[in-house]
Amino acid sequence: MMAYDKPLPDLENEVEAPHWQAAKQGRLSIQRCSQCGYLRWPPETICPECLTRGGDWVDLKGEGEIWSFAVYHRAMNPVFSDEVPYAVAMVRLTEGIEMIGRIAGPPDQVRIGQKVRAVFVPVTDEVTLVQWEPSA
Amino acid sequence: MDLRAKTAIVGVGNTAQGTLPGRSANEIAVEAIQEALADAGIEKKDVDGLITCRNLRSREGIDEQIGHLMGLNPKYSATLDYGTGNFSLHLGVMAILTGLASTVVLVYGTNQRSAKADFSVAVGGGADMAAIAGLAHVAGPAAMAFRRHQHLYGTTEEQLGWVSVAQREWAQMNPLAIFKQPMSIDDYMAMDYMVAPLRRPDLTMISDGGVAIILTSAERAVDHPKKPAYILGIAERTALRAYQNLENLMRPWLGDVAKQLWSSSGLSPKDIDALYIQDATSVWVLQMLEWYGFCEVGEGGPFLAEGRTRPGGSLPLNTNGGQLSESYMWGWLNLAEGVRQLRGECGPRQVANAEVVLDCSTHDFLKGAATILSSHQ
Ligand SMILES: [Zn+2]
Repeated sequence: MMAYDKPLPDLENEVEAPHWQAAKQGRLSIQRCSQCGYLRWPPETICPECLTRGGDWVDLKGEGEIWSFAVYHRAMNPVFSDEVPYAVAMVRLTEGIEMIGRIAGPPDQVRIGQKVRAVFVPVTDEVTLVQWEPSA
Repeated sequence: MDLRAKTAIVGVGNTAQGTLPGRSANEIAVEAIQEALADAGIEKKDVDGLITCRNLRSREGIDEQIGHLMGLNPKYSATLDYGTGNFSLHLGVMAILTGLASTVVLVYGTNQRSAKADFSVAVGGGADMAAIAGLAHVAGPAAMAFRRHQHLYGTTEEQLGWVSVAQREWAQMNPLAIFKQPMSIDDYMAMDYMVAPLRRPDLTMISDGGVAIILTSAERAVDHPKKPAYILGIAERTALRAYQNLENLMRPWLGDVAKQLWSSSGLSPKDIDALYIQDATSVWVLQMLEWYGFCEVGEGGPFLAEGRTRPGGSLPLNTNGGQLSESYMWGWLNLAEGVRQLRGECGPRQVANAEVVLDCSTHDFLKGAATILSSHQ
């Protein structure tokens, strides 16, 4: 696999690691509070609703719709220069949370309200990123 | 507590803006303080409070450093870890009203352009995840927020363009402004996208510079040479849960800042003679025009396209050119301009009979603050 010189997750970070392990296996996994059931993203050590520490990891359906998106014609972070134009979306998941993610593929066909599903894109031997593609 | 006209700004000072090579952020801050002290007709020994702003991505701008450089042992000092002028100003108001200090200098100085500070990083809660997805720079979330506004209300890119075009018209009358080249709406529309639907003029250019403000009690204010700018009302609120707040990019909680501001001050948008909105992106101007009630939510596009915020319009907005055309100073120069308008010091861009101004700031997607200032008590 080619060298990937863009921002990568810290796989040593225990709080986030289960998300990345799941992504490598093709699952979109986030935390759910074992006490109150609150779904939380991004990962944290404490439930922001009831302040219970820890939490269970649960798999989501990996489905949602585009709330909005931005199309980078200029790579504001130069390491992404080889990918412009690319789209990054705020996805409203069917489970009710919002998640930022890259649109897999060219940005021309993206629109607000579009139904999307998670796709799992390996970028290094260790890391697989969650991206989104139209599902309809 | 009724804080109406209990405190006043009696000095404003700034350095040159743009590129100031070979100087530390703290040296720039000291020069701004010297300018503000001179403007207020006082010396450093007359100041007993110091409020500074830490620089983004450096350890400069801390009160311990600047107090040391200035040779000051103030009674009260503090440093904010972000630098939008209203937040410092409100801390100064609190220090004076509680008796912790009687005359406070507030300062922001930066060499972020010459030091090549990295603004490509993502901002706000969940920043790591955003960076991994390629959502770099505040331009990304701002572009998303504007596209959503377009989707909900039919706002056009050309309507948004009037933010930058109007501010450029104001900047042409401001010697301090960095960007003064004429720019028509056609020029704007002809420019390439940076992060669609936003173009270069929708985003600020990083600059070096410093701004300082002297705040004191209303009783003391009359002893200073310049006409005081009295603080009539302040309001703040946070959205620290960041991406846990649905729709957070639209920053609907700014409406709560506005509600608190108008109800506590007894004033309303029609009382405002000139408006200042911290414009890290043009989209923030659109959002705050609406949330502060200068037009209905969703009506900002047509409001701007009618030319109301241009020179000669009914709502002079960012009459210094704002950060988009004057200089990116975390909103501090917007605050300084508001004071100078109240004093009548603004030459060709002076707003006739400017007696009440509003300055609105935000800290990314996390905080909002606003202050009403007036030449009358
Ligand atoms: Zn919980």
